[in-house]
Amino acid sequence: MAVLVKVMKRPVKETSYLRATLKGMALTFSHLFRPKVTMQYPEQKATDDWTLSSRWRGTHRMLTDEQGRAKCVACGLCPQICPANCIKLVPGEDEEGHRYPLIYEIDEFRCVFCGYCQEVCPEEAIHVGVHYENSEYARDRFVYDLERLCAQTHPVSTLWDPADPKGE
Amino acid sequence: MPDELVSLTIDDVQVSVPKGTLLIEAAKQAGVLVPHYCYHPGLPVAGVCRMCLVDVEKQPKLSIACATQVADGMVVRTQSDQAKKARQSVLEFLLINHPLDCPICDQAGECELQDFVFQEGRAGTRYTEYSKRFNPVEDFGPDVLYVPNRCILCTRCVRFMEDVAKEPVLNVSERGDRAFIGIHPESRLDHPWAGNVVDLCPVGSLLSKDFLHKARAWELDKTASICTGCSQGCNVTLDTREDVVVRVRPRPNLDVNRYFMCDHGRAHYRWMNRGDRIEAPLIRHGGELRATDWDEALDRSREILKGARGAAVALVSPRASTEALFLARRALAAFEWTGAFQVVVGDEAPLAGVPNLALRAERAPNGKGAELLGYTRAYAAAVTAAQSAAVVLVLDDPDAVVKTDGALIYLGTVLPPVAREAAVALPIANVAEEEGTFVNRDGRVQRYFQAKPAPGMARPGWWALGELLPEAERPASAADAFTQLAAAEPAFAGLSYGQLGFAGARTTRGAGAGAGVPA
Repeated sequence: MAVLVKVMKRPVKETSYLRATLKGMALTFSHLFRPKVTMQYPEQKATDDWTLSSRWRGTHRMLTDEQGRAKCVACGLCPQICPANCIKLVPGEDEEGHRYPLIYEIDEFRCVFCGYCQEVCPEEAIHVGVHYENSEYARDRFVYDLERLCAQTHPVSTLWDPADPKGE
Repeated sequence: MPDELVSLTIDDVQVSVPKGTLLIEAAKQAGVLVPHYCYHPGLPVAGVCRMCLVDVEKQPKLSIACATQVADGMVVRTQSDQAKKARQSVLEFLLINHPLDCPICDQAGECELQDFVFQEGRAGTRYTEYSKRFNPVEDFGPDVLYVPNRCILCTRCVRFMEDVAKEPVLNVSERGDRAFIGIHPESRLDHPWAGNVVDLCPVGSLLSKDFLHKARAWELDKTASICTGCSQGCNVTLDTREDVVVRVRPRPNLDVNRYFMCDHGRAHYRWMNRGDRIEAPLIRHGGELRATDWDEALDRSREILKGARGAAVALVSPRASTEALFLARRALAAFEWTGAFQVVVGDEAPLAGVPNLALRAERAPNGKGAELLGYTRAYAAAVTAAQSAAVVLVLDDPDAVVKTDGALIYLGTVLPPVAREAAVALPIANVAEEEGTFVNRDGRVQRYFQAKPAPGMARPGWWALGELLPEAERPASAADAFTQLAAAEPAFAGLSYGQLGFAGARTTRGAGAGAGVPA
């Protein structure tokens, strides 16, 4: 039994692929004359109309005083507030009787980058940073000790917009 | 004669208190804590801090609750606008000079200035032009540092040394805003009870060198316990941080130590954190001790007890719990029994201002308990008797030196030379790791609670000894062991864990011994 196939008759104008191809090519080539939007990472890390937000919360940085010592006084608030429990702190006392951290380590793998440590710090010592490139050759390198935290140079997060501190 | 009661109203709560009660104490009964600094129930009233101002109806000015006695029909409002404003001003004045160094202050988290400013202080200061004072930290004594900047001059420390310790080496030097706590130039704060000034200090001005920078107040877990320093049996709180005891502080008990404890007891906690503990039961195989599990070690111990006949000697530590001492005797019930303990003796150091409170010469927290259970002080005789005894049981007595022909069962926290001679060595928990009771020198039975886990397989002494009994008699808990003890010993008759609570209670036989104890 023969199968009946109904063949639609359509005008050549519609069935020709040539027209559709040219249309597509026209769109493609029109992009040559539009402004470029691709950022050339890693050569380029910011464009005129796009940079990392100043409120970005990335890997930490410890600020230092004029003598290059960490500003941290080992008060213990950041390990207390940390929801990921990634800060290890052992307080000690230096020769002048100042309290300072003997051990201060942040496990950046555990960290959830909430920024609470920066928010709670009474000495404005520990900060989350505007920084996102963190590759390493070994996993244990992600536990940042005090020396490493002090050596970081990236800008620190502002956490909130200074012009609108109560805003979202 | 019962005291005459007066009724008054404090913050709309009606209370009846004995005549002569101070308003601040009556307010506590009404459930109101009036903020205060200079007042302390264990010290004479000074009325210098002006913090406890409250509004008493029909009195023209505010009164200080710490120096006002209650009167019948008094109507007191602690939260009236006037009282609140006055207290807020006092706090503001205190904060003119007080440094805001809470992040580095050891008192942060348990500081009364922090608490009360947070509770009812102003959010900001109006004295922005005024520069804070700066004076160097002073070394007052063996365990006390004085940070003058933080001092709010409540004079609790001065009054403690003068009226309680009766060694007035502290005073308030200078006047006005230059005032500070001064120490006699030729003295040091080295009284055996001087450490109490650190607890009394409401702010972080007097600090313990031992505890300095060690932990933050909010990291500490607190457990009610009994001091093991001597036979006085002071009630204490063990502060632990991550299962390490970091500090011992007095726990108020008006019948024993009031609000105080001595420096010996305060420093006597490091042994609780010892690392060189026995962590598994050991049994003798040939010439050496070998680690095993509890089942095998207990089976071996039961075999020893079952197989032997004749005399048994128990050499015990006066630091063992009453439960363990009782069960040690019970486990040897089938033998001709001798029990003895030895007591380390040191200097006695009384606290002059409190009757019947001293660091006792006998450094034995449970010596009385051992005596009540039939253990004697004839230690040398017991050691001699041990030579020919069938079974010798050593309960956490690391200084024991025993030669015996019989079998030696050792229960202890560490492995001293005597344990190396043992047929079985069982690891037990120390005072911070188990629940139990001590009987102090006045015959007061007091409970202590578990503050941290025991290392490895170590179990409480009452459990290990209870397992040596026939199966039906084994206690299921420390409370169960104490119930057995109370049923068997007339001196402990009628007592139970529930009844002892946190304050403890007298044994019936010991009741006459401690005459002169303040009620």
